[in-house]
Amino acid sequence: MPTYTLNVNGQNRTVTVSDGGMPLLWVLRDLLNLTGTKYGCGIEVCGACTVLVDGQREHSCVFDVSSAVGKNVVTIEGLSANRSHPAQKAWIDNQVPQCGYCQPGMIMTVAGAMKAGHRGSEIQSEVKNLCVCGTYQRIKQAISSL
Amino acid sequence: MDTAINSSRRKFLVSSAGGFALGFVLPELLSISEADAAATGTQVNTWLNIGTDNSITLTVGASEMGQGSFSGLAQIMAEDLMVDFARIATVQGGPTLANPAPVGSAINTVGSSVTRRNYWPLRDAAASAREMLIQAAMARVGDAARANFSVTNGVIEHAPSGTTLTYGAVAAAAALLSAPVNAPLVPDNTFKAIGRPLRRVDIPAKVDGSAKYGIDVRLPGMVYAVIKHCPNFGGKLAATPVKPSNMIAVVPVSVAAGTGRGTETTSMVNAVAVVGSNTWDTWQAAKRLSVKWTLPPNASALNDAQFLADAQRLATNATPYVAGGANPPGTLYTVEASATDAKAALANSAKVVDATYTLPYVAHACMEVLSCTVDYVPGVKCDVYAPTQSARSVLALVVSLTGLKESQIKINTTYLGGGLGRKAETDFVSQAVQVAMAVKRPVQLFWPREEDFTRDQYRPMALIHAKVGLDVSGNVNAWTYRNVSPSILGQRGSVLGAKGDSQAYEASQDLPYAFGARLTEWVSHPSPIPVGFWRSVGASINTFGVESMIDELAAAARADPYDFRRRRITDPRWLAVLDAAAQLGNWSTPLPKGRARGIAIGTAFGSIVAQVVEISGSTSAIRINRVAVVIDCYLSVNPDSVDAQLVGGVVHGLNAALYGKQSFSQGAAQSRNFNRSRMIRPNEMPQVLTKIMPNPAVSDRSIAIGGVGELGVPTLAPALANAYFKLTGVRQRSLPFFPNATMGGL
Repeated sequence: MPTYTLNVNGQNRTVTVSDGGMPLLWVLRDLLNLTGTKYGCGIEVCGACTVLVDGQREHSCVFDVSSAVGKNVVTIEGLSANRSHPAQKAWIDNQVPQCGYCQPGMIMTVAGAMKAGHRGSEIQSEVKNLCVCGTYQRIKQAISSL
Repeated sequence: MDTAINSSRRKFLVSSAGGFALGFVLPELLSISEADAAATGTQVNTWLNIGTDNSITLTVGASEMGQGSFSGLAQIMAEDLMVDFARIATVQGGPTLANPAPVGSAINTVGSSVTRRNYWPLRDAAASAREMLIQAAMARVGDAARANFSVTNGVIEHAPSGTTLTYGAVAAAAALLSAPVNAPLVPDNTFKAIGRPLRRVDIPAKVDGSAKYGIDVRLPGMVYAVIKHCPNFGGKLAATPVKPSNMIAVVPVSVAAGTGRGTETTSMVNAVAVVGSNTWDTWQAAKRLSVKWTLPPNASALNDAQFLADAQRLATNATPYVAGGANPPGTLYTVEASATDAKAALANSAKVVDATYTLPYVAHACMEVLSCTVDYVPGVKCDVYAPTQSARSVLALVVSLTGLKESQIKINTTYLGGGLGRKAETDFVSQAVQVAMAVKRPVQLFWPREEDFTRDQYRPMALIHAKVGLDVSGNVNAWTYRNVSPSILGQRGSVLGAKGDSQAYEASQDLPYAFGARLTEWVSHPSPIPVGFWRSVGASINTFGVESMIDELAAAARADPYDFRRRRITDPRWLAVLDAAAQLGNWSTPLPKGRARGIAIGTAFGSIVAQVVEISGSTSAIRINRVAVVIDCYLSVNPDSVDAQLVGGVVHGLNAALYGKQSFSQGAAQSRNFNRSRMIRPNEMPQVLTKIMPNPAVSDRSIAIGGVGELGVPTLAPALANAYFKLTGVRQRSLPFFPNATMGGL
């Protein structure tokens, strides 16, 4: 039972897992009680589980926890204080979410793109996560202001 | 002190505990499979609380799955209570039962019903509460002239003296009064909340990860269970598997009553749940677990080809319904028949169009997989946390499974990560309760995506045969239409009447077209694959059949599809919606080569909807460029939420029309995850324009308000197929357009 120390949302967190291949998604959700990151498909098709690892967008459903050691993991809970990240503000201004389940992954994907220096239409073409409610039109509107 | 007040239109319960509380019964659709006892005076499902601290709380019995129910109800309440919408806090209620406890006080969230069915009762309740608060203020001030009092955002002002009293200041006194019988409503022309695009209350929690869905429930000491079904419908457990050494338990679980289950019988063991200490390890153990299943004897016949062959046979040869008879699957029901024999009338037609349309089984694929958390203590309690559309059905189920009293059971409805009709079913709740009863500690049941796709209760497959005649002037003189599809209600044990399954034939009857003689029929298909309520249900099937055929008739008559409809629609509201859609969709503006438009109109849940879809490309690849949607729901509470639902419905309709299909082999579903069930992604989103027919200047209670949540879906597929015909000359009579499409990773 290996033990790992991860930096999640600016805090060092120590977890003991059955093996280092446990995906970061389940470490966050089940061991660290950070349930904002969602399971959707488990095969990197939907994007609901997107988090930032050292600023890069990663699909936590296939990202081994052992690979996150020594890196900074940011989840939706740690993206900003008081929903102040520009993407979160744009999401509220454009009343984007419906059921909302995919939106943490959407917002983290956009946040990663912004961190990479991308803007507006550039981000629009990069965001391909699935939303079964079909909030895409408002997502595009929200991104256009970023 | 509690005072029950009954009047013809409302039932209120007033309570003085902690300020002012007004409880009232909001209506709901009758339970699909059984009629419920009428609400009693003490059976309350919704509470308005006004605290002495001026807090205003509305407890909502409906589920929030993205349709904006909470906000919509709060918006209605704000109007006649005369407070700012932002002041109303909404709280999720449950099926809390009074004593004696009739089952059924929370609202099942189905049929696009929440806002429309609660609109008038909520307004009445809010107006009554307001008048009681004012009466209390009148007593306090000592002036019995109601005209001397006015309200601004929950502050009562007595004009002659300039005295002001907040609702909170008079709440305790108001609770001692009787509710007035006819409290006046705010006139439509002074609305401040109804009809405004106010911001939804649930959105902030949905951008910071704090919104809790069913899958996010975490209880102290909770363990994790992962479901593993027999892959083949109708199969059952042959032997209980050996528990893996690192797991807590392996629990066989059986089929529960009251949910779509094909031909699987209640109490048949069709799955096991592996229980462990976290989702991932337990899931891996479940994947590795070797389980022996016994397949049903007819497994070799449970495949697409056989289902289609059965449908084709029944399209021409089915045994008619007999009143009081057994009427097994395969029975032919007459939905509507004109006095003139439509089949005979076809002989007089100048031209006959004969077409067969087929639709596949389609999965719901909610973004949040099925999940339910249960804290069960034998003989003491059962707390259920479920993303359910059917809190009251869940309560009844838990009573029957545990034998506990209703007062020992608490149903907590979480946010739903999509519902789409799938979470109206209670199979996953039953399984979680069974596991909790076996392990006797808090447990969360998780369905991996593969289980979600392969053990759905699908939109029914359908084969529609329509044979329609035109006279020499191009008018429809004979309309015959037969839909063959599995019965949603029949699979739930309902005895079907002479017209058959309302869920199957809806949107195929009473169509306001001048059709001459008409014969509309439905045949129950015997397929044992479980079917269920899929956003817009029968309308999503029949609107494709009807509006594709109308387009074929227009082509046969060499008429413009919009103009052809215009001249044959007999309902002025339909006509207005059609005209508005044509205008919004630029129907009369010519398009360049390689681009085309299609149009369709239909009805569902009391609303009328029309769409114009504009596409480009060729038979090998099409692009959806633009979709115009117009709805007449009579009255819209929040136009921004209506827009969101219509646009979302277009996406849902596109996913199904272009790609949606579940195939079966040996009774086992073949698409197991999103990679085999393509959907459109954000970068493929067409421009969608919406228009809501204006609210009435003076709303009339006798005119039914229509639903919104499911209305974007039904007209999309036919409008798309009609555009495709215009573009390519090829009539797409079989859905989906691209049945073998797959989806790559991100």
